[in-house]
Amino acid sequence: MRARQAGHYGTSAALAVLFLLPMVWTLYSSVHGSRAAAGDGAGWGLANYQRLAGYGDGLGSYVLNTTVVALVTVAVTVVSTTLGGYAVARLTFRGKNLLFLATLAILMVPYTTILIPLYIVLGWLGLQNSLIGLGLVLAMFQLPFGLFMMRNSFEALPVELEEAALIDGCTPGGALRRVLLRGVAPGMVTVGLFSFLASWNEFVAPLIFLTDGSKFTLPVALFNLQSGNLGAVDFGALQAGVVTAAVPCVAVFLLLQRYYVSGFSAGALKG
Amino acid sequence: MVSVLPIRPARPGGSTTHPGRTPVSGLGRRRQRLGWAYSAPMAAIVAVFFLLPLALMLWMSVNHWPLLGASYPNGVENYGALTDPFFLRALWFTIKYTVVTTIVLSLAAFGMALLAQSARPGTGLFRTAYFLPTAVGLGSASLLFYGLFNTESSPLNTVLDRVGLGPVDWLGTNGSALSSTVGMITWRFAGFYMLILLTGLHSIDPSLYEAARTDGASRWQTMRHVTLPLLRPTLALMMVLSVTGSLLAFDQFYILTGGRHDTATLAIDIYREAFLSQDLGRAAAVSVALLVVLILINGAQLRLLRRKED
Amino acid sequence: MGQHRIRRGRLLLVALAGTAVLLAGACQSAGESSASGDTTATDDGSTITMWTRSPTATFSQTLIDAYNKSHKNTVKLTVIPADTYQQKVGAASGAKKLPDVLATDVVFAPNFASKGVYQDISARVNTLPFKDTLAPAHVKVATYQGKTYGVPHDIDLSAVFYNKVLFGKAGLDPEKPPATLDEIYAAAKKIDALGGGTDGYFFGGSCPGCMLFTTWPMIWASDATVLNEEGTESTIDNEAAAKVYELYKKMYREGLVPKSVKNEAGPTWTQAFSEGKIGIQPMGATALQLFKETPKLQIGVAPIPGLTGGRNSFVGGDVLSIGANSTKAAQAWDFISWTLSEDAQVEVVAKNKNITVRSDLADNTYAKQDPRLATFNALAGEGQTPISVNFGKTFNDPNGPWTSTVTEAVFGSASSASVLAKHNTSITESLATGG
Repeated sequence: MRARQAGHYGTSAALAVLFLLPMVWTLYSSVHGSRAAAGDGAGWGLANYQRLAGYGDGLGSYVLNTTVVALVTVAVTVVSTTLGGYAVARLTFRGKNLLFLATLAILMVPYTTILIPLYIVLGWLGLQNSLIGLGLVLAMFQLPFGLFMMRNSFEALPVELEEAALIDGCTPGGALRRVLLRGVAPGMVTVGLFSFLASWNEFVAPLIFLTDGSKFTLPVALFNLQSGNLGAVDFGALQAGVVTAAVPCVAVFLLLQRYYVSGFSAGALKG
Repeated sequence: MVSVLPIRPARPGGSTTHPGRTPVSGLGRRRQRLGWAYSAPMAAIVAVFFLLPLALMLWMSVNHWPLLGASYPNGVENYGALTDPFFLRALWFTIKYTVVTTIVLSLAAFGMALLAQSARPGTGLFRTAYFLPTAVGLGSASLLFYGLFNTESSPLNTVLDRVGLGPVDWLGTNGSALSSTVGMITWRFAGFYMLILLTGLHSIDPSLYEAARTDGASRWQTMRHVTLPLLRPTLALMMVLSVTGSLLAFDQFYILTGGRHDTATLAIDIYREAFLSQDLGRAAAVSVALLVVLILINGAQLRLLRRKED
Repeated sequence: MGQHRIRRGRLLLVALAGTAVLLAGACQSAGESSASGDTTATDDGSTITMWTRSPTATFSQTLIDAYNKSHKNTVKLTVIPADTYQQKVGAASGAKKLPDVLATDVVFAPNFASKGVYQDISARVNTLPFKDTLAPAHVKVATYQGKTYGVPHDIDLSAVFYNKVLFGKAGLDPEKPPATLDEIYAAAKKIDALGGGTDGYFFGGSCPGCMLFTTWPMIWASDATVLNEEGTESTIDNEAAAKVYELYKKMYREGLVPKSVKNEAGPTWTQAFSEGKIGIQPMGATALQLFKETPKLQIGVAPIPGLTGGRNSFVGGDVLSIGANSTKAAQAWDFISWTLSEDAQVEVVAKNKNITVRSDLADNTYAKQDPRLATFNALAGEGQTPISVNFGKTFNDPNGPWTSTVTEAVFGSASSASVLAKHNTSITESLATGG
């Protein structure tokens, strides 16, 4: 038993180190090296972060814009895919399969090509150069994953749960709210987390759909900051940018950890 | 439409109505309306933000539609792009890449999920470590790895040099570029798929494991007869995402190799058509073809992995 | 709940019908560039929108800040990430949402000019008393069918950069840079012999843009050409070009450059030099402002020479134009013409160590302070900018004909001459078709 435990720990730890290394290197390089340090270019310094903070309209503006877009994306995705996932998993209605496939098809269209038609459509809707419009588009891209995930989650719940609630006098909506949501919470959390991450790091869509520099999101600003002539890259700025952008993502993940932890020990393969 | 999808919960005693047949009971009709009501928000977004642009894209594929300037219909001429030698090479490479990545990623994600779901202290830390790469955008990750792979002074090459394994040519040939990219993608996405697996594992009723144990099943047998079958919907989700993502891979190759040494993918071919040749019509044609293929592939995957009726 | 019925079929029909109707608007005609006889410049407190590429951002912003402070108009700048400019302009052009002012990379300007992205400003430019001193290469690039569509904005030209510290260590005179390609080779060899992680030379072997930016001037300085005047035919199949790439091949084979140059696609192509590890490297003049001089790196510059002498440069940078659908042409011109004024060129551009776009101002106070700037200013009038409406897909595409040509010529086993001969037709084909 002891040996297996040790092996288990050993493998997990080794893997963890492997996965962390690139991030650690990024963090280290962002504060050490020729572009980070003042003076003759050796040693430590925060010059990269200073450049980032003062760039363009200011870091605060970009973070705010990105947050607004991310919130819209998460809210729209979670709400619509939870309702939609329930409908597809539990209810029967004409066009259900078509809806499921049409939503899934969103994944299957190459990004580059759908962007310009989307740009045109947004123009028709008056949503060009709008953070809300951008949030809606990014939500759309998250629908396939969200719907699939929520459908799976609802299907995994025992039907007896819902039936019991209905017998007790709940409306289907009430049953959903009071009983089922608790059961699919991990699914909702996963959908929320992934749509947040996708929206937060999204680069191409904000670039095409926003024309106002002051509305730009963090990834666009970071790209601008790090790009030099003929494709040359300011790695110091890139690394500072990656670290800065990663912080909220890690924070959100850690915050949402508890939705996963409780379930795991219960369903784990004992060994 | 033939149902290739699981359309009812696979639990005995579940109250369902037969698909396609008009429900006679009041509850059934109510559930129909409820179905439409609940799926309305999602359907609205899909219709306006996807189907509408998709229709436009279909229209573009039968037009001569330059990036700058006027457009006019030109029938199926754009679909000639599917016979272009560059397209065919990209097709072959993309398929190769998809197969390799899907296998490697699935194994990695599964292994990590098993490691990360124990209740031992420290597992939370490991889980966070595996998940951390997901916090980095794919473009940024690709650039970071470009720096690691390509510069002689990068820590990766310096360490290897010291150890005597010499600076490695990570991106210089088709084979090495493929392996290096698969490595980077595994780093970036294994945690993502691990989390999906964990969510799926979470939904398995623990009493089933108890039952298996009292029946004397070994770990492998439990895995084969309890876990995997119940994990089918999650595996289906993973497969669809992974295969589709790999077939449409763009950023990583665009940044790491630019498509050189025959590492161009289908998405790079589309990008070239759209923005270098400035021909949006041809790009749209290739995209439509790709969409059709993906629908077929994913339809097959979903069918293979659909829930078995107990 | 009944009102929420969504009939899939009906919805699809509505969508298609809507698409058909609205497509009338989407099927745009080529943006008619208004041939404007109007030459007024108006400063009336309007807001002018401007786009620039990320590498040019600091330059543009400095000018804009100075303009906004001293004028009633306000220019609002949006910085577009470097290689996505085409996408952005393409999307905006169709929807008639171009900005009032655009700063465009010179190699893409002919393409945009020919496609109606800009307004015709020939009449306006003719009102400038100094119009003949404007950087000739830029003006040429922005001229299409005899009409002028842009003026020079910023100049980034290629020149030889060398590390005076390494020159000193290798026993070379830091104040006497190489004046021929053979001298470059000899100097690189001496510096490479210093060892310890130092290399004599560097180039971006997998970066098509870097290669043409730095090697074409060598061909021009050797009295040969790369393209025909109209940009529809490749003429690189010549002896001078073959010799240039043979020299590169030699330097690679002899280890005068790091092995990593073979795969260098651009992101790190100036990094080693900035760290003081490279003796000589041709690159863009803007590097002078970017690199920090340290005990390991003291920068000297020189014109790019030809095989046996001569000097030339690839004059890159941006041109400034008025967007085709702009309704504020007069205000935009007020800004654009101001950027060319002596005040702007000397007190803003030159003061910040940039190259002036007017040859009559080349010898300004700031250039006098740093002789390296004087070298750049002189080169601005001597260098060339090749024109082709199909430049991008021919020369910038990592999978295009130029990339295969130059990679094979430098790293392949066949002679450079035979490689150039072999690929010349495919380059011509790409230049002449499509677009």
